[in-house]
Amino acid sequence: MKRIIIIALFLGSVLPALAQEKPKLYTIASPFERYTYYLATARYAVGIPMGSFKDNYIDKTSFQNASISIEWVLRNSQLSVGGEIGSTYFEKRVPRALYEGSEGTISAVQTRTVSQYPVELFANYHFPPRNAQVQPYVQISGGASILDYTVYYGTLSSQDQKVRFKYGIGAGSKFLFKKDGNVGLDVRVKYDATAYKYDYIDKGISSVSGSIGLFYRWW
Amino acid sequence: MFKKASFLLLIVGLGVMSCSKDPISDLSNEESLVYITNHDKSANFNQYKTFSIVDSVLIVENSRAGTSLDDIDRAMLQRLITNMEAMGYKHVGRKENPDVGINVSWITNTYLNVYQPLSSYYGGYWGGYGYGYPSYYSYYQTSESSWVISMLDFKNPQTTSSGKTFNVIWEAQIRGAAIGDQKLVDKMTDSIFGQSGYLKIK
Repeated sequence: MKRIIIIALFLGSVLPALAQEKPKLYTIASPFERYTYYLATARYAVGIPMGSFKDNYIDKTSFQNASISIEWVLRNSQLSVGGEIGSTYFEKRVPRALYEGSEGTISAVQTRTVSQYPVELFANYHFPPRNAQVQPYVQISGGASILDYTVYYGTLSSQDQKVRFKYGIGAGSKFLFKKDGNVGLDVRVKYDATAYKYDYIDKGISSVSGSIGLFYRWW
Repeated sequence: MFKKASFLLLIVGLGVMSCSKDPISDLSNEESLVYITNHDKSANFNQYKTFSIVDSVLIVENSRAGTSLDDIDRAMLQRLITNMEAMGYKHVGRKENPDVGINVSWITNTYLNVYQPLSSYYGGYWGGYGYGYPSYYSYYQTSESSWVISMLDFKNPQTTSSGKTFNVIWEAQIRGAAIGDQKLVDKMTDSIFGQSGYLKIK
C-alpha cells in the first residue's frame, strides 16, 4: 500500500512536468558561459597529399586518419587551448618498374607508405560568443610527429623512423546539437606539414585534411 | 577532472598507436618478387661466345653449403640455358673451355631481429614474440632466401699468388616471398634477362 502511494506521488510529480514545457532549471547564465569548460573531440579525417610530397612520393588520398583532442575553453575569452594526438597514413602502390640503385637494377612492385602519429598542442580562436550553437574557429597547432617511412620493394622493405617537428593551421566550426547542450559536431579543414627529408621526400610531408568529429563538453 | 581526462586520452592514444598496418598483404606471389641485377660496367659482353652452367644448384644456408637438384632446380637451370641461348650464347660442356660460366645458388640467411614497439609494420607482419625479455622489446626471427645467379668471366682469369680467380661480370638476385614457387621459375628467369639487355650479343 505504502509503495503504491509512493509510485502515485512520483507519477503525479513527473507526468505534469513531462506534459508541460520543460521547466527552466536556472535563471542565471549557463555554466558554459560562466566557467572554463572542457571539451573532448574524436575526429575522422580524409587527407590529401600536397606539394612535393604529392609530386615525388604519394599522390593518393588517404582515408585512414583519426585523432583525439582535448581542450580547455577559457573563461572570458574567445580562446581555447588543448592537445591533440592522431594517426595518419598515406599509401601508394606503384606497378612493377625498374629502379637504378647503387646495388644495381631493381625490378619490383613498389608500395610506398608514410604513417605518422602527430602529438600537438593547439590554440583555437572562436568568433561568436563562447556558448553559441554554431562556433566557427581558426586554429594553429605545433608539435611532434612520430613517423615511419617505409618503402616496400615487393615484400622487402626499406624503413626509416623519426620524430620530427610538425605544425598545422586550420579553420572549422563547432555545431552544438542542442543549445547549451553537451554534445556536438566539429568540422575542420587543416593544413599539416612535417619537417622531414629522406629518400623520396625532399621538402617535408604536407597535406590538407578534412575532418568530421564529435565532441563532448563538460565543466 | 583534468587528470581523469588526460588518462583517458592516453589510453585511447595507445589504442590508435597499436593499430598495425600491413600494406603488402594484398600482393600476389608474382608481385612479391624482386629482381636485382648488376654487372661489371667495364665488361664487353661481345667478346664472349660460349657458356656452361653448373649441373646443380648450390644451397647455402647460414654458411653451410651443399647442392641440390630437384624439380625446381632443374627448371631453373633449364630456363637459364634457354635465356642464355636467346641472348646469343652457345651452350657448351664445362670441359670445352666456355667463355663464361653460370653459377646458380639458393641462399638462406636467418637473422634474429629486435624491434621497438614503435614499428607499425613488423608488429603486424611477423608477429613478434618475446619470452623472458623485457616487454619493451620484442624479438623475432626471420629467414630470407634468395636465388643468386652469377656469370663468371672464364676468358680473362685473374692470376694471383694463390691461383686463378674469375671475376663476376653479371649477377642477378631474385628475392621475395614466392621464389620457391615452381610455376614462377620461367617468369623469374625471363625477368632477370629482360632487364639486362646489355648481355645480348650478335
